[in-house]
This record gives sequence, C-alpha cells and structure tokens, in this order.
Amino acid sequence: MNNQEAKFILGGYRPNGKDAQDQMFCEALKQAQLDPALGAWFAREQAHDRAMASKLAQITPPAGLREAILAGARVSGNRRTIWRQPIWLAMAAAAAVLLAVSAALWPKRTAANVPLVNFAMADAADPSKHGGHGTAETALQTELSNSSTHLSKGLAMDFTTLEKTGCRTLDVAGRPVLEVCFQRDGAWFHCYIARCDDFPALSEKQGPLFAENGNVTAVTWADGAHRFVVAGVAARNAIERLL
Amino acid sequence: MSSEVFTQLVDAHYTPLYRFALSLAKNTADAGDLVQQTFFIWATKGHGLRETSKAKSWLFTTLYREFLRGRRRDSRATSLEDLPPGETDVAAEEVDRVTRMDASSVVAALQSVDEVFRAPLTLFYLEDLSYQEIAETLDVPIGTVMSRLSRGKAQLRAALAREETAAKSKVVPFASTAGRKQA
Repeated sequence: MNNQEAKFILGGYRPNGKDAQDQMFCEALKQAQLDPALGAWFAREQAHDRAMASKLAQITPPAGLREAILAGARVSGNRRTIWRQPIWLAMAAAAAVLLAVSAALWPKRTAANVPLVNFAMADAADPSKHGGHGTAETALQTELSNSSTHLSKGLAMDFTTLEKTGCRTLDVAGRPVLEVCFQRDGAWFHCYIARCDDFPALSEKQGPLFAENGNVTAVTWADGAHRFVVAGVAARNAIERLL
Repeated sequence: MSSEVFTQLVDAHYTPLYRFALSLAKNTADAGDLVQQTFFIWATKGHGLRETSKAKSWLFTTLYREFLRGRRRDSRATSLEDLPPGETDVAAEEVDRVTRMDASSVVAALQSVDEVFRAPLTLFYLEDLSYQEIAETLDVPIGTVMSRLSRGKAQLRAALAREETAAKSKVVPFASTAGRKQA
C-alpha cells in the first residue's frame, strides 16, 4: 500500500475512534505510525474532521419538531404539513384528537398519549433552563417538597398569582403552563400546572396516568380546574410516593 | 409499536436525522418535513422491522430516499463521478478556519458541496454510521463512499474558504467621520 492508497482509506476513518477495531483501517493506520509524513497528514485530517463533526453537532433541530413528529405520526393523515403550522396549535389539535380517540377506543390509556406529558418529560430532562422566583412560588415549592404532602389530594395554589409573581411560566399552545422544581428525599422533581380552561381537551378529571421514557418518569392527573404533570429523573415508585 | 418505544426511537435519532436532512434540503422547513416524513413512514411501515438495532440505518436510508424522491436527480450529479481526485492534503490553517467559524457558516459551506458528495460527507461527520453503513444507506459500493469522501472533503475545504471570505466581507468597517457621506 502506498501513501496515496493509505490516504484514500484513512479519509473514511471517523475522528471519534469508532473505527479503531475495523480491519480495513489497520494496515493504513500502521503505515501512518511508521511514516512521519503520512502521520502528519493523518493528524491534520483528523483534526479537520473533528472540528467539522463538532460544528455539525452544534446544530439543533427547531423547537417543536420532536413534538410534531410524535403527534403527527400518531394522528395525522396530513403528515407533510403539520409541523409547518403553528406548532403548539398542532399539538393542541393532536391532544384533542388523541384524547377523544383514546377515551372512546382505548380503556388502558397511558400518560404518554398526552403531548403535554411529552413536553414536560423533555423539559424535566434539562433542568439547566429552570428557575423561578416569588413568594407564591416559594410557598408552593415548600408545599411540594413537604414529605407529608400528597400531590393528588390537591395543592394550595393560585395560578394567576404564581404566573404574575415570577413562577417559571412556559408558553404551550399560546397558553401559560407553570413549572416549579422541588426536592423529595434528595431527588429533584418538576411540577407542571396548566389551567383546564386553557386546555379543554385535557380537562377530563381522571386519576394518575404514568409515562416513562429512558430514565425520566412522569405522572399526570387533573382535578377539574388544573391539569398537573410531575416529571423527574426517577423510578416510577419514587413518583408514586409523591401522590 | 407502543408509543413509549416510538418516543424513545424519536428521541434517539431525530437530532442526527435533522442535521443530515438540513445538509441535503438546505433549509430548515424542508429538513423538518423530511424528518417528520421519515418517522411517519416508520410509524406506518417500519415497525415491521424486528431488529431495532437496524432502526438507525433504516431511518437514514429512508430519509435519503425521501429526499431523492422529492426532487429529480440532475445529470451533473453523475458527471461529477468522473472528476479527478481532489487535493487531499489539509493545511494547518484549514483546521483553524473551521474552529473559528460559527456552526451555521460551516453548515452553509457544507450545503454548497455538490449533493453527490454532501450526503456521504454529512453522514461521515455525524459519526453515527460506519463507512459500510453509509454505503448501505446511500446504496453505493464502499469504494464509492471512500472516493466521494475524498472528493467531498476537497470541495468542502474550498467552500469553507469561500464562506469565511464572504463572512468577512459582510463586516462593515467603522468609517471615519471624514469618510462619511453627508445625508
């Protein structure tokens, strides 16, 4: 193998080292170790490839694409256009259809069928963006963190006050959803609260429904006035203990 | 397929698929459509694939086919195969150039590479697929993948230089008071 052939082969060697055990590269790699000129070329080639891979890895999909994929694949016959529509409107529509269909046809519903839950699970997995302030939020956080509080029995809170006084508020379908972080037994959880009036499709009063995705678990329930989602990097039994 | 498994599949692959789609389609809207269409096809057909370990290759292959289906291949794509090999040596300053450029400029340069080279090049830089998997995804022989990588990298280096020059030319130097035109 001459150096030109070695360069040809080594050009396909991924900079993350995943090809290290691939037999096709062995001879060319050995030659690069023995030939200083080829070795220097390979080092520059790998540095360039690594820099390119790093830049490409910085590209992130547009917000809402994930939710659109999940909602679109489940409910949409109009599959090509759904994600170009205002995304949260599409999600709300998907949620309405999902809940209507599942209520009618699928008695064993799971929380993963509620897009708000998917949104909460994705948000809970990245707590670096979290943060809120205000007396009302602190009071709710204290209540949530209290080990004697059973979340599904009802929470002392005023949505409007929380929203106006600095509680972290997310925009979902143009509607506000509050998020409060709290800690139980050393683990962090995230409570998402939406007004049922803002999400009529999610207003059905129902018991806790669970969803799991990787190491993130979520539970959702509604009390007639609010829809709650609690998510965290925790096992299901840890979430169950909160209720 | 349960919705939980489908969600996991989406979470695992939609980001690299979007990056691949963006390099092919050259705009975010079409890239998003391609990714969504790919998962829609999976949801309707792909669940028959028993070996979930092959899901990644299946998704990249399907996205690429959907891209090809969406536009007619022009004759230039074929004739480019006959071009002589590109310059294979990377200068040290070319590494620095990539490092100092922002990601969107680098992607713009990548998007200007001819599509026949751009597809394998992007898959290579995503680092998710081996050269064999890239060959399967694009349905070309392994030797063709290696050849396209070599030529594609040469095109990319030229495109990066152009992109950086263009970016510099957009920077408007601070004009002295004396040099300013009066309104």
